[in-house]
Amino acid sequence: MNRITSTEALEISMEIGRILLQNGSTANRVELMMCKVCSIFGYPETEAYVTPTGIFLTVSDGKEIFTTSIKRIENRQTDLGKITKISHLVYDMERQYCKEGVCYWNADKFREELKHIENEKTWPDWFKILCGGLTSGCFCLLFGGSWLEFAVAYAVGVLVSLSLKLLGNLKLNNFLLHILGAALIVVFAKVLDIWVPYIKLDNIIIGGIMLLVPGLSFVNAIRDTMSGDLVSGTARGVEAIFLAIAIAAGSGIMLKLFELWGM
Amino acid sequence: MRPFDHLTLMQFCWAALSILGFSIRVNLKGWKILLIAIGGGLTWAFYLIFLYFSKSLLFSVFCSVFLVCTYSEIMARLSKIPVSVFVTCVIIPLVPGSNLYYAMQAYIAGDSVVASQNLYKVLLISGTIALAIAVVSSITNLIFRMKNRF
Repeated sequence: MNRITSTEALEISMEIGRILLQNGSTANRVELMMCKVCSIFGYPETEAYVTPTGIFLTVSDGKEIFTTSIKRIENRQTDLGKITKISHLVYDMERQYCKEGVCYWNADKFREELKHIENEKTWPDWFKILCGGLTSGCFCLLFGGSWLEFAVAYAVGVLVSLSLKLLGNLKLNNFLLHILGAALIVVFAKVLDIWVPYIKLDNIIIGGIMLLVPGLSFVNAIRDTMSGDLVSGTARGVEAIFLAIAIAAGSGIMLKLFELWGM
Repeated sequence: MRPFDHLTLMQFCWAALSILGFSIRVNLKGWKILLIAIGGGLTWAFYLIFLYFSKSLLFSVFCSVFLVCTYSEIMARLSKIPVSVFVTCVIIPLVPGSNLYYAMQAYIAGDSVVASQNLYKVLLISGTIALAIAVVSSITNLIFRMKNRF
């Protein structure tokens, strides 16, 4: 059985690290995963340094050659399904495909598997948009809305998920996207309010906002800080604070505009 | 509202349904998302029950996040989902989005007392959730280290 070279091990673990970090994993976990993958391939002397915007990885072949690679991470998103799949792949690598540096798969097979995970679509887009509506509607009920308000919140959630999906194609930055999302929630709620009588807008708008709150950045900030990864912890914490400000600003601007317009 | 009556049960169902929607939005799939949804429902139910008995907002947030994080540490290991994925989805109902909105609304209406009260609540609740998650993950690490030692 062939042994995977240190360059190939570097490349594959870098790709695993990129997918994990881009889809919202904590820096500490990415570091552990990359070191684990390299040691599964038989290169235990690995050093990894991960920040939310970049990965540094050095693999040593145990004699004299050190291979280092740097990767810049852009356009981060939230896709916890991919993180789960990568975890399963690494687990399977450890159990089935590789034993003490000797692998039953060659490097191409791993690359193919990673490409498959990268491109696989778990749910169709229309279903995810409908589920956005479900989340927003149920949060509206949770904060004390009536069934009519649930229906309006469902519509608002679907419309906002749809427009966020369309705005995502423009490759806007994250803060602008949150400002626009929060503004659109208020606009849709106010416009639907014209046709539907006897509803309170507060619960509907809160239901919509719960779709946007930066829960993932928040949890990651805590977990990173607790595991001693201070750079990523602070960076994620600041990201969460800024996203919260963006949401508040977006909804605030629209509420003020509607107030000025007299609605 | 009294705990353990049909209203708490309905709130549990709504929280569970919304977390189900959330976990589909972040591309999770399989029967495991039902466990995540139950976790999300439990977060809200524990919060309501503790709030009824203790009348203290932060204490009930802390207890419910503590219990639910313990649940998710166990269930994540049984269902082989990474723990961070599980915890992220499960705490969403307690994230103070409503206070953020009320703070904004009060600022626009010019009522800065209510606004700062709500903003203060946002900070305190997020801090409490952070503390509870940190405590549970530290305890888990400690238990695993003890298990490996002996």
